[in-house]
Amino acid sequence: MARVMAPRDNGFGGRLVPFLSTLFFVLVSVVPLQIPGFAAVTPTFALMAVFHWTIYRPDLLPNAAVFVLGLLLDLLNGSPYLGVSALMLLVARTAVMAARRYFADASFAALWLGFLALACGIFAFAWALVSALRGEVLGTRPFLFEAVLTVACYPVGSWLLVRLHRALVRA
Amino acid sequence: MRVSAPVRAAAQRAALPMLIFVSALLTVLGKADIVLIDRVRIAVADALSPVLELVSEPVASVASVVGRVEDAIAVYQQNAVLREDNQRLLQWQEVARRLAAENAALRALEKLVPDQPVTALAARVIADSGGAYMRNVLVNAGARDGVARGQAAMTGDGLIGRVAEVGQRTARILLITDLNSHIPVSVERSGERAVLDGDNSDRPRLVFLDPKTPIQPGDRIITSGSGGLFPPGLPVGVVSAIDKGVVRVEPFAELSRLEIVRLVDYGLAGVLPQSALPPPRLTPRAARLRAVETLR
Repeated sequence: MARVMAPRDNGFGGRLVPFLSTLFFVLVSVVPLQIPGFAAVTPTFALMAVFHWTIYRPDLLPNAAVFVLGLLLDLLNGSPYLGVSALMLLVARTAVMAARRYFADASFAALWLGFLALACGIFAFAWALVSALRGEVLGTRPFLFEAVLTVACYPVGSWLLVRLHRALVRA
Repeated sequence: MRVSAPVRAAAQRAALPMLIFVSALLTVLGKADIVLIDRVRIAVADALSPVLELVSEPVASVASVVGRVEDAIAVYQQNAVLREDNQRLLQWQEVARRLAAENAALRALEKLVPDQPVTALAARVIADSGGAYMRNVLVNAGARDGVARGQAAMTGDGLIGRVAEVGQRTARILLITDLNSHIPVSVERSGERAVLDGDNSDRPRLVFLDPKTPIQPGDRIITSGSGGLFPPGLPVGVVSAIDKGVVRVEPFAELSRLEIVRLVDYGLAGVLPQSALPPPRLTPRAARLRAVETLR
């Protein structure tokens, strides 16, 4: 992992990789996958991208970009509460920034564990936020399920992001 | 332009609280049902629909190949089941013919006002909310195809929801499992009225049901037609479990595997407030689509 994070100044196109890859992950988050029992709750792929790029290249995925992408996610998934995803992703970025140094040289297992902690925190936050907005205590199951699914899909997302990242370093 | 690292870091730090504030403000504004937000949401969906269609196309192809393989494996078994079904349905056809004739005769006798003609069009699901706190799908048909708010969305199996937002080329369908979905229904066996409330689980709850109503798992639930949102009699689901007075309904349609949905216009104005969006303009394409599938 350490190999991919050599700080290097990339060309303009290369600098867009974190933003574009996160944008792609946002789009994938809303594509119908048509797997029985799966589409009702889909993993939040965007969270993986924010996690990855905040650890390795936070300079290329600043808060403003995270905000815009979160807002786009909210607009696309027809959320009745615009801004919830933006808040979730901003909080995630802030949390990861604070713990960044622990992740910099971490093994994949440690990263996965870190992502598990992040996802738990973020979905608990989302649950509390949406419950407050609705003025009623919502069932925790859909949130728990989404967190579990997102964490379970992390290796796939991470693999793709590392690939992109290597391409970015080589560029 | 080169900005020194400390300056940029300072700008970043200042930006964060502001962005968090704006997000929080938006969540509260969204709660107030602001028309502008609805418009922006459907405009973004409209603008991105080509991209969404592009991304969802390969997924749909893979799913259809998997489906075909499954079908090929199960073909003998299916054949036997279909033969049996066919026998049974032929008997029903007999019954339906007789009833249709009788109905026509009675209608002629009573000078009944004929029902509005029903039109429908098929649309493909191009996005699926998949969030923990909402259940909706985006389809690739909109106002230019004649889709309007309040239309019923169905699959061959049953009701899946209603059209909640309409753009020019896309429409958003609020599924019956969404927290904000409340459908007037009735129990087919007893005719007792109730409301089907979504709670983001796969099986919505039956509420406002008279506690004295006899109800048991397996009872069919259909739309009641009250409120004028949907016509009576659309199949919705079956009662799957009754636990401490909470009645759960398993929808007939497989909501997690929606590919093609039918948007049906029953010509009912309904209880929905008039949409702030422009009324649908029927283009020649829409007229064609309507002509393709006229149900009655």
